[in-house]
Amino acid sequence: MKLFSLFAILSLSITSVYSQKSEDYIPTDAVTVFSLNNIALLQKVSLDDLVKYEFMAELEQELFDGSTSGKSIKESGIDFDQKLNIFYGKGDKYEVAGFSFGIKDINQLFTVFDDFDEQVSPLENVKYYTSYFNHLLIRGKVGLLIRVDPLSGAIRQVADSIWYSRGNENVPYYYYEGGYLEEDLEPIDEDYLEEEWDEAEPATEEVFDVEDELEVLEDGDDYIYDEDIASKNYAELRDSVYNELQQEYLNRIVVDLIVNNRNLRKEDKDLASLLEHTSEGVFYLDNSRNVAKSQSFFYLQSILPALHNEIKDLYTGNKIMGDLLLNESSIEAKMTANYGEALGSIYSALNDTKFDKKTTKYIHKDNSAYFTYNVNLRQAYEKAYEIVMPLLRDEKNNRVATSVLTIELLNALVDKDAVFDTYRGSMFGTFNGVKKVMVRRIDYTYDEDFNYTETEVESEEDLPIFTLGFSTKRNDIPNIVLEQLAKVTSECKNMGKYWIFENAILNSVPLYIINKNDLFILTNDEDLAVNHSDGYGADKISRKQIKKTKKSGFVYGQIDWSKTISQLPRELFTAEQNELLDAMRGKTGMMTLTSSKTSNTSTNFNINYDFNGTYDNPGQYILDLVNSLYILMK
Amino acid sequence: MKSIFLFLIIAFSMTSCIEIIDDISMNPDGSGTFKYNVNLSSSKVKLNSYLALDSLDGKKVPSRDEIKGRVNHFIYLMEQKNGISNVFVETDLENYIIKMSCDFKSVRILQDALTKSLQEELKEEKPLLDDNSDWLTWTDESFNRSIPDYTIKKTKELKVEEINLLKQGNYICITRFNRPVKNCSNENAIIAKNKLAVMLKTNAYSLTQNLNLLENTIYLSPLKP
Repeated sequence: MKLFSLFAILSLSITSVYSQKSEDYIPTDAVTVFSLNNIALLQKVSLDDLVKYEFMAELEQELFDGSTSGKSIKESGIDFDQKLNIFYGKGDKYEVAGFSFGIKDINQLFTVFDDFDEQVSPLENVKYYTSYFNHLLIRGKVGLLIRVDPLSGAIRQVADSIWYSRGNENVPYYYYEGGYLEEDLEPIDEDYLEEEWDEAEPATEEVFDVEDELEVLEDGDDYIYDEDIASKNYAELRDSVYNELQQEYLNRIVVDLIVNNRNLRKEDKDLASLLEHTSEGVFYLDNSRNVAKSQSFFYLQSILPALHNEIKDLYTGNKIMGDLLLNESSIEAKMTANYGEALGSIYSALNDTKFDKKTTKYIHKDNSAYFTYNVNLRQAYEKAYEIVMPLLRDEKNNRVATSVLTIELLNALVDKDAVFDTYRGSMFGTFNGVKKVMVRRIDYTYDEDFNYTETEVESEEDLPIFTLGFSTKRNDIPNIVLEQLAKVTSECKNMGKYWIFENAILNSVPLYIINKNDLFILTNDEDLAVNHSDGYGADKISRKQIKKTKKSGFVYGQIDWSKTISQLPRELFTAEQNELLDAMRGKTGMMTLTSSKTSNTSTNFNINYDFNGTYDNPGQYILDLVNSLYILMK
Repeated sequence: MKSIFLFLIIAFSMTSCIEIIDDISMNPDGSGTFKYNVNLSSSKVKLNSYLALDSLDGKKVPSRDEIKGRVNHFIYLMEQKNGISNVFVETDLENYIIKMSCDFKSVRILQDALTKSLQEELKEEKPLLDDNSDWLTWTDESFNRSIPDYTIKKTKELKVEEINLLKQGNYICITRFNRPVKNCSNENAIIAKNKLAVMLKTNAYSLTQNLNLLENTIYLSPLKP
């Protein structure tokens, strides 16, 4: 109701903008956007498969309650000549997810969206439908499916204010969101807050005003007082606040998009230019907004606004954008990570290093997956010190001044050569399948009178075999630590060529440490530690592969899907993770990640999925890649 | 507390799974001893891997200390109940075995103590059980056991995939007496060789599908005059 009343209050005459396309309905709150150009490719994808993707899960499965069974996207009434734009954004008060699309046949569309009920729309030329928490707006030949969820912090702020204003005592302490107890929340030092607020300029834009929020709530015809708010318990109050805030935030977004004609394509030239690309799809992630809206940044903004602005400037322009390309036997994601010059100079210093060839000796030619990561931590430290320290020194604040003093003293007194020669930053990792390990369990045995005794038995479990190694120039320093550990606990032993730490992994299996040849390696691979502590020799990865790895910028990674996915034990993953992995099961081919040299303004990344075969259903492959990127970028 | 629930959900989601022994020894006067063992040792690799995480599916994973704390708090609540004594718990979080035992004056007192302690521990506002709802009944001639209503309610909240994961879990229900058992109503129950105990074993999955599997009335031989 409130959505409509607010629209009515605005009483704006809306001009039909039939020339607008689906990409003009991406809210400015969106931080991640996937726009598929060639959605004709998706025609063969079944709707049942589509709703299984994570990016659709945001809109809840209730959207498609079986009415999609056996249907493909082709039968959904969607216009394949328009882009399909999937978006997601999370601010400090709500998260928004949805997609915008072209409509060819509205009747066919509602055979899929059959749970949606039409509502009276006060907006001229806009049809409005709802289903549970999902909202569908149709304007001309464009549909916008959107879901807005207030975040628990925002709900609690309003609910607690109302709760206390009613004369209630403390909020029931066991009522918490997402499984976190109140006592788990990090307390803010009250003395510190009092001291700092006097000096700090309040960030008025973000300050929550109880009166304003109550007024907003009261404006609605269906305001919760109508339902005798005084009799509600805390949980019911929170539910009411959730509903009201959801409507309030949805209003803002829809009014912005449709009445004010503001959308992300208009507001962000980078996205506008990206949407002109003719590749199969494009993606966009505005990391600067992710950073700015993170919880730690919020605290910084409240307490040290000047420093907040300086650091925010550092992240300006931090966006990841790219194209999805469908080649003859592969799919490629070409990405560019953009950033400002100050931050870029730190990244540039970080990535300016030679490839550590010694790591390749420990990567077996038959590995299932591996990565290398080459960075120069020392150089990055010096550059970060040069750029960040002046910002901190300018801050007139006791706590920051103390931190600056500590950092400067450490910088002057600590042997940086020793620190950065021990941990240089470069590393590698491998996955070498799974092996059976023996673990002990307790069984009960019963006699004929049902008295029982405990017996310890051994059983086999699958354990993935991982190796993680770090470049070092100072094997002597980890050795000091290991020797002392061996004196303290009998579980840590020096075996000559390697060290062993019994029951270190999952309290069940040993961890092996190889500390030589300028590498510090942690592994649960007994064979590597016992038989190959100096590397695999002729069984290491091929020269051609080494060359390829070395040629990539600061990072290289590859996964052999056919080996990796089938070998991962299901028991070690959650139901959701297994669903994702299941989507990849049965697929073959090699996925590689390469990067370019890092410049002061950008780094290019390339993900290539070579599936060594002909297209069975190219749309499915594209969606798999979109899904993986969506999860990574969320 | 929700984090402890998460631990239990994880525990119940183990594929290679859980063994629960529910053991009641009855005295002639209706008092007795209750023992409850939860054995998750066959899932310890997976449990260790979960406990190494901060959160899972957006929910906090409890630490070992939190699990111990909650178990101890439950025991504390049990100790406060009239008619309950010698409450004992052993929490072995290396092997994931929790053993609890207590003496009770009557089965009515035992079921009230368990229900109320659970209610207080879970901070449930509404009573978990109606006052006149019995899942343990004792007379001089017989002993009846069934499943408490709140377990039925909780089972209905489980997702299909969670229920499927229970296929290898076992629930063992043992009832002991100091006079011979004549017979019992549940055809799956086994009477001990010495006739002084009855065991009913079912797998956890079957139990979610048919909550009457543990329903059993045990008839005892008459009391000697």
